[in-house]
Amino acid sequence: MAATSARPGMPESESESAHPELGAPTTGPPKAAPAGRTTASQLAGWALVLGLLVICLLAPKLFIPSFLRTLSAVFMFATLAQAWNIIGGFTGYPSFGNVVFFGLGGYTIAVLMARSHWSFWPALVVAVVLGAAYAMLIGIPTLRLKGHYFAIATLGVAEGTREIVLNVPKVTGGGAGITVPAVGPSATTSYPGNTGFLYYFLALLVVAMLAVYAIARSRFGFALRAINQDEDAAAAAGINTTRMKIAAFMVSGAITAAAGSIYAFQQVSIYPDRLFSVDITVLMVIMAVIGGSGTVIGPLVGGVGLQFLSEYLRQNFTDYHTFIFGAIIIVAVVLLPEGAVRFASETVRQRRLPIMDNLRRYRL
Amino acid sequence: MTAALETRDLSVRFGGLKAVDGISVTVEDGRVLGVIGPNGAGKSTFINLITGQIRPTRGKVLVGGRDLTGAKPWKIAAARVARTFQINKPFRGLSVRDNVAIGAMFGAPGGGSVAKARGVADEVLERLGLSGVAELGPTELSVAHAQRLEVAKALALRPRVLFLDEAMAGLRPAEMEPQLELIRELRREGLAIVVVEHVMRAIRSVCDTVLVMQEGRELLTGPPDEVLADERVITAYLGQRYAERQRAERAEAGGSGPAVADQVGPRPEGETRAPG
Repeated sequence: MAATSARPGMPESESESAHPELGAPTTGPPKAAPAGRTTASQLAGWALVLGLLVICLLAPKLFIPSFLRTLSAVFMFATLAQAWNIIGGFTGYPSFGNVVFFGLGGYTIAVLMARSHWSFWPALVVAVVLGAAYAMLIGIPTLRLKGHYFAIATLGVAEGTREIVLNVPKVTGGGAGITVPAVGPSATTSYPGNTGFLYYFLALLVVAMLAVYAIARSRFGFALRAINQDEDAAAAAGINTTRMKIAAFMVSGAITAAAGSIYAFQQVSIYPDRLFSVDITVLMVIMAVIGGSGTVIGPLVGGVGLQFLSEYLRQNFTDYHTFIFGAIIIVAVVLLPEGAVRFASETVRQRRLPIMDNLRRYRL
Repeated sequence: MTAALETRDLSVRFGGLKAVDGISVTVEDGRVLGVIGPNGAGKSTFINLITGQIRPTRGKVLVGGRDLTGAKPWKIAAARVARTFQINKPFRGLSVRDNVAIGAMFGAPGGGSVAKARGVADEVLERLGLSGVAELGPTELSVAHAQRLEVAKALALRPRVLFLDEAMAGLRPAEMEPQLELIRELRREGLAIVVVEHVMRAIRSVCDTVLVMQEGRELLTGPPDEVLADERVITAYLGQRYAERQRAERAEAGGSGPAVADQVGPRPEGETRAPG
């Protein structure tokens, strides 16, 4: 749109000059938003991000402790959604086993701190490296599969890994879980408390956002999007699709493992059923998709929005909160199949709310 | 001088089916090889074997004398072999410019930054007359522009060998001529080009040599006029009865005129094509 309307010396461009009576020149026929360009909604998104960041940094002075914990969870899920976005959104490989990196990261921290008396930070580095390494290990066979098959394979890997963790109680504590020494003389790193974890998760979210922002603008990001659209054509264009897919999975795994690490430290006691829960994977996927998978700010929007919503429902509708949450997700997926971010930019571009378009298009 | 592209006894079996069986061709720089044959003859599979989408079970692929048999597609692309696909494969989420830029980013020797690749893309789009639609999404293009975009994506790799798999399909006669002119121009620039086509007018007007495939095998190879007049080719395309009828008609008319009619060949539904 901008390409045709922003020519000062030529008020009437070729296509519009023939029919000057048909609408103002600025509202031409709808065209697809040029991909990869900065749009107004993207700018607004980043402004919002900055504003939120300032509020978050001041949060400990503004909010009560229970809200700080909620906020930590919001940041964590936004990070997880963003990490999933790299492999599921940009690359188009819908991992249903991303929680495996979360659990792996958490258990790395717990085992190293409880059994080997490491302090948190070096253990975090090991957890991140292991997350990336595990992604490579399982990515080499599973990334040969596509679509549902990849989803099922990764789901299987996550469930299998949980079983392994359950069955080596000497290392992991098995089903009884493992406790990170957080207080007292055995504590290797002093427990950061609500404020500390809020900042840890915020910092990780910022890292994840910047990483995806950088990826989206880099050759790597173009390679991932090309693979997402058509893998054969991507390979024919010279993209080493195998390497790029594995790299994307590794970045996703590393960030997810870091989130799991911080989470394990925050929770102190961890259990396989929680740390490898399919629910966490499902939440990552839903948050990324409803926010806008394959976009930079979509997972942030989805993660923040849905986590707050879920928290609000839990507090106000104790008996029905999962039911209501589920219903809202179904409606959101039906109405916004492309995600909230693309919906917003469509709204700005078309200057109307295209809320029913999807229903009409697919006669739902 | 080593040929830009050479295949020796190239073959692939899918179970009991010999999809491509012992095809040997040589394409020099600045030459155009046409590959024709009925649907299912193995033309696209032949390309896929060379460009790495399918690994051959037997035979060799040499690019500029270098053995690239069974190499991955991106290795082939790095050896400056580019291709289009029979079914257009645009990157839907990206603008036309970025569709082309991808090839320049990864395929061109040494690769390039995003900004540099977009510069290359703009040059290619300019050359193919697509500058006006650079900002659009690939789904908004006309058939002719969509076909051109596929060629543009391939050219962004700065290829030495170019495969065009039915780049004329769906084009109106008037739209075909610029596409043919482009092929001639690229040929003059020294590209080795392999054209898979059902449109005989295109084959006749740009090819130096034509390979006719039938059931995976080479039926015959030769200059276009000779090949298109060959009885076996007519039979392969149109079946025995039509070939006999045409022979009778030709005998009546004194044996002149083109043998394989321009409207020869199966065509996908709803496509327009040049009248004979």
